[in-house]
Amino acid sequence: MKSILHRKKLYLLGLFSVPILFLSSPSWLTIGGVKPSWAILWLLPWALEEGSFSGAMAGFVLGLFLDSICLGSSSHIPVLFFLGFWWGRLGSKGPLIERSLSLGLLAFVGTLFLGFSLWFQMLFLPVFESNYFSKDWVFNVLISQTLITGLLSPIVCTLLLLFLRYNRTKYK
Amino acid sequence: MVDTRRQATVRWWSLRRLRPWLFLAIALTCVRWSKGAGFLDSYALIIRPFWPGSAQKDWIQNGFQLEREIQLSLLESDNRRLREMLELKRSKKNQRISAAVISRNTNGWWQQLELNKGLISGINSGDAVIGPGGLIGIIHSVTPLTSRVRLLTAPGSRVGVWIDRTKRHGVLLGIGTNRPQMRFLNKDPQANPGDIISTSPASTLFPPNLPVGVIQHIDKNALPAPIAMVQLTAAPEAIDWVQVVKP
Repeated sequence: MKSILHRKKLYLLGLFSVPILFLSSPSWLTIGGVKPSWAILWLLPWALEEGSFSGAMAGFVLGLFLDSICLGSSSHIPVLFFLGFWWGRLGSKGPLIERSLSLGLLAFVGTLFLGFSLWFQMLFLPVFESNYFSKDWVFNVLISQTLITGLLSPIVCTLLLLFLRYNRTKYK
Repeated sequence: MVDTRRQATVRWWSLRRLRPWLFLAIALTCVRWSKGAGFLDSYALIIRPFWPGSAQKDWIQNGFQLEREIQLSLLESDNRRLREMLELKRSKKNQRISAAVISRNTNGWWQQLELNKGLISGINSGDAVIGPGGLIGIIHSVTPLTSRVRLLTAPGSRVGVWIDRTKRHGVLLGIGTNRPQMRFLNKDPQANPGDIISTSPASTLFPPNLPVGVIQHIDKNALPAPIAMVQLTAAPEAIDWVQVVKP
């Protein structure tokens, strides 16, 4: 019982660290001033290790957190929910994913999905305050965020994956 | 026959006697030609130790400063009286709240700042936020201890501005890039690159005459009205402290 509680505390700490990193990400860890998507970097190892249901739920919760601290009306929830589910299925049904290149590619694709989702919401959803923005800015943010997240993921996701596996076996 | 007459020659001693006079004439010509520059420069060099000291210079500068302060206070009181007559907003210097930037996102999907002061300190949604250089954004939401600033560059940001030189109004729209767009309300805004834009003095939402930026480029062929690209005077990427101005 105590071990499960300890494990939950660690997971909650990990979950809360994502919005904190979103707010206080260092300025040197950017490309063109654009920060990496910490949500993707946390969700990928979590979903791969915990399965599709936990992944989808984590994506939903993470999306709620991020939507509450972001300025715009476009939401992270749909794409993080989908990515959590998809990566969970890959982790549970497919072959074991632990190579840096595979993790990097998954994070790369996930960040692209996230960027396109936010862009389309800005374009088509009437709830967004303004659908008037520069296409250059959209491509700059999309490409920069995808690159920095893809570059960081082999380090961050591998370490997180190892940490989650270690805790799972330790408190089993 | 021997010629006994003495031959006329120019004697050397007579030239020597003339020489000082020649020098004097040349010197006077130079003085005349240079309008006494040498004299004045020499005079200035000689009396340098007796020039008015820094104290005297300070007195004169203080006098100028005092004169300007008096002029400014007169203009301010005049401006206040006229604004009261027109029932417009006025800026109150004592209603400025200093706050530190605790989080910044200036280039991503969301362009926002988080400040370390909120509702308890008297900050409300819609208050203007200024940094060194001018306006940087508007308070979007507040919590008891923090407040979120929507930067002028963020998509969805709209601020009424005007060009002081031409007295033409426009709307400053954030489009995500570092340079927001100014959409003029007139077809002929008479604006030029280099014109300074500020918050409109007719605004009922923001304090008047806060500097915003400088026009960098104008597309005069844009429809329905010309569009200008504005370089902001305050850079939010480098600001650690801001002031929240109550309208």
